Amino acid sequence: MSSRKKLLLKVIILGDSGVGKTSLMNQFVNKKFSNQYKATIGADFLTKEVIVDDRIVTMQIWDTAGQERFQSLGVAFYRGADCCVLVFDVTAPNTFKSLESWRDEFLIQASPRDPDNFPFVILGNKVDLDNRAVSVKRGQQWCQSKNDIPYFETSAKEAVNVELAFQTIARNALAQETEAELYNEFPDQIKLNANDNGRNRDGDNCAC
Amino acid sequence: MSTSSGDELHDQYKDLFTQDGVLLKTSVGRPVSDFNSIGMLCIVQNADGTKCIEWRPNDLITIDSDTQDQEWAVVNTVGRRQRTLSGNITSDYANLRARIIKIPLDDLKTFRITRNNQQMQFSTKPGVWQNTFYFQHGNAEIFVAYLKNHLKTAKTRHDRNTYMVVEPNDESQVLNKSFAELDIFTENTTDVVWNLVSNFKQRPYETTLEAFSKLTDIVYYGNEDVNGKRDVSEEVADLLTKSMSALEDTTSVTRSDEYEVISVKPTLPPRPCIPRGSPLSTEKWDALQDADGRIVEVEGVKQLIFRGGVAHSIRSTVWKYLLDYFPWKMTHAELKTLQKRKTEEYFSMKLQWRSVTEGQENRFSEYRDRKSLVEKDVNRTDRTHPFFAGDNNPHLAVLQDILMTYVMYNFDLGYVQGMSDILAPLLLLLGNEVDSFWCFVGFMEKIASNFDMDQAGMKHQLLQLQQLLMFASPELAQHLSQKDSGNMYFCFRWLLVWFKREFSHIDIMRLWEVLWTGLPCANFHLLICVAILDAEKEVIISRDYGFTEILKHVNDLSMTLDVDRVLSSAEGIYHQIVSAPHLTDQIRIVLGIEPLNLSMSTNSDPEPSTSTLPSTKPSQVELKEGNGNTIFGQEMDEDVVVYNGLRITIVTKTVWALLA
Repeated sequence: MSSRKKLLLKVIILGDSGVGKTSLMNQFVNKKFSNQYKATIGADFLTKEVIVDDRIVTMQIWDTAGQERFQSLGVAFYRGADCCVLVFDVTAPNTFKSLESWRDEFLIQASPRDPDNFPFVILGNKVDLDNRAVSVKRGQQWCQSKNDIPYFETSAKEAVNVELAFQTIARNALAQETEAELYNEFPDQIKLNANDNGRNRDGDNCAC
Repeated sequence: MSTSSGDELHDQYKDLFTQDGVLLKTSVGRPVSDFNSIGMLCIVQNADGTKCIEWRPNDLITIDSDTQDQEWAVVNTVGRRQRTLSGNITSDYANLRARIIKIPLDDLKTFRITRNNQQMQFSTKPGVWQNTFYFQHGNAEIFVAYLKNHLKTAKTRHDRNTYMVVEPNDESQVLNKSFAELDIFTENTTDVVWNLVSNFKQRPYETTLEAFSKLTDIVYYGNEDVNGKRDVSEEVADLLTKSMSALEDTTSVTRSDEYEVISVKPTLPPRPCIPRGSPLSTEKWDALQDADGRIVEVEGVKQLIFRGGVAHSIRSTVWKYLLDYFPWKMTHAELKTLQKRKTEEYFSMKLQWRSVTEGQENRFSEYRDRKSLVEKDVNRTDRTHPFFAGDNNPHLAVLQDILMTYVMYNFDLGYVQGMSDILAPLLLLLGNEVDSFWCFVGFMEKIASNFDMDQAGMKHQLLQLQQLLMFASPELAQHLSQKDSGNMYFCFRWLLVWFKREFSHIDIMRLWEVLWTGLPCANFHLLICVAILDAEKEVIISRDYGFTEILKHVNDLSMTLDVDRVLSSAEGIYHQIVSAPHLTDQIRIVLGIEPLNLSMSTNSDPEPSTSTLPSTKPSQVELKEGNGNTIFGQEMDEDVVVYNGLRITIVTKTVWALLA
């Protein structure tokens, strides 16, 4: 685990189906919005280079399907995450209520070394819509009660707060990553496959 | 969420394989209250290196994600909702721990599969089946396949579903065991085998060759393990190869047609390049019906569709048959009645949800959730296609209505993401709400397991895909597992919606109609995956792609694939696989071909052999596939179907002509 030249931050976006995970990712990375995105099946990711505190880092942002039954497969992608972004739709209270279980689920599946201090960021999306059903206060209160998780109200459609939110995500992920260098956040797995040695080169599994 | 007991669990032992949906049926010495509870069956490695089979009740939450298999298995056993509701994970932990059943592998003597892959029984002493488990998904064979990685087993002669654990786990012992089981030699088998090989030249030629043929058969067809490698040490293979060439040097008779020299790394025969045919035309379709409209030569129709698809002009008719909406043998008149009945049935189901009032809806969260999920997905289904594009497109409302009616048709399954993708091309082609619904029902019948709550169907397919790839493209399969991608998760989207996201509408219609024929084998859609992946082999390996790059590369293949080329190479791969001399039973099972061991055990003579070298050796006849085509390709009884003056060439004939 020597010092790394190029920093890669792995960010996982979670939340109920249709809250705008794919749209937020595309707004941040490609500065585009389309209402023609298809429902995500399986998983995909986009990367973007950002500058955080004078350091160039690559954010690798993972987008997965939102329907509950597909989550059992998400674990393959959670491993080695530096930050988890939980998204809800401010016009759909159910998606807000799900935040708790998304958070728990992530912690169970990714099992980071220090779950209490693992960085999360909450995004209340679709603030451009009129039929808001979850108040700012409610969102903030919940985040405060959860160890002061940063909370942003965003609109992927109108690019409100998206840049700011992802800057925070990157910064918090970077802090996590730096700590991980010290503690080796995700211990190497014991491999059943004897000749496995290519894993660390992928830059997605551990901080090397 | 890492509880102290969870950590303890981590330190002490490690899951090697887990399978969920396993019911504890009976267990000697356990209270009846434990029975019929659902859980998962695992293969576990203890801290001291010993292994055991372990059954855990589902309510027991383990927090573990450290092995590759684990990432598939652990999490799904407890739904998210349950987890958050139960909250108090540690308090009941001790009680639940007491319900765990452990069977040390060292003690295991026998196990067997019964009830058509649904039940497994384990025994640690003769005569008693102490533990019986029921596999909800009927997939006990997967567990057995993994178990056989950790044990040496031999099938008993009287019951092919019963496995004896062979000890110690020594390969030569297993080989001996197999010889003993086959009753080829009455002498001490070890001596015979090794004397046969080493004193080869001194023995009379004919006898030797015959004995040798036995050995070759066993090397080829016996003792397959899950990876398709045989339980024969390389030394034995080398020795055989040397002896074989020595034989050829010293004799004038060559038998290489029947028995090939064994190579340690078996390769597939060259891939035949099979051209695609022309689509089933209106003329042929008309000619294949009798005067009343019955489709007489169903197999012939399917063969034609497999070869070339269906002409677009008759697609909307033919699909109704392929999707089991119209029975092949119905007359036009009967179909009319059927359609009328199905229309009524559809609208009565539609009325059910249409008449739910707002007030009811407010008090019916399950219904409300499904409705909103359908709405969300319909609004983002193929919106770039003109048929579904634009605001307030009426076709979206039809998609919504069909999917909601399907929720009423199959409330247990409900709506699952991916279904709108499946439906869209059907509606696009058929244009009619009722027809689209019933065709959708038929399609869902074929792929319902893709949408299992616990994703067991998807996991099973991904495992089968991995097995096929290991056989057909071992180099690539090896690369994938080295890069943490052996779980084939990057093919998830392909399989879930049958490549819908990878092809244009017109191409997906072609691909689907070919796959619906069920030809040339079961799970041909997995060979489509193999074909696409095999074509990317060079890129993936030479650029040393890792987990993320593989996923990206595969996702990016979308809309770049040539459907005819993919179909053609998948068919080529199919023929490569089934004509490979080292074809394993595991692969046969995946492809729906009768496993060899089955026929061998049912045909084997139960009486002890009387002669040293019985004259009946496993003949080529036994290598036949279930449908009567021989693997080595000579006898083809029904190559050509002639109907109404139309000659329909059966696929295999074409292939063998090309192979020749």
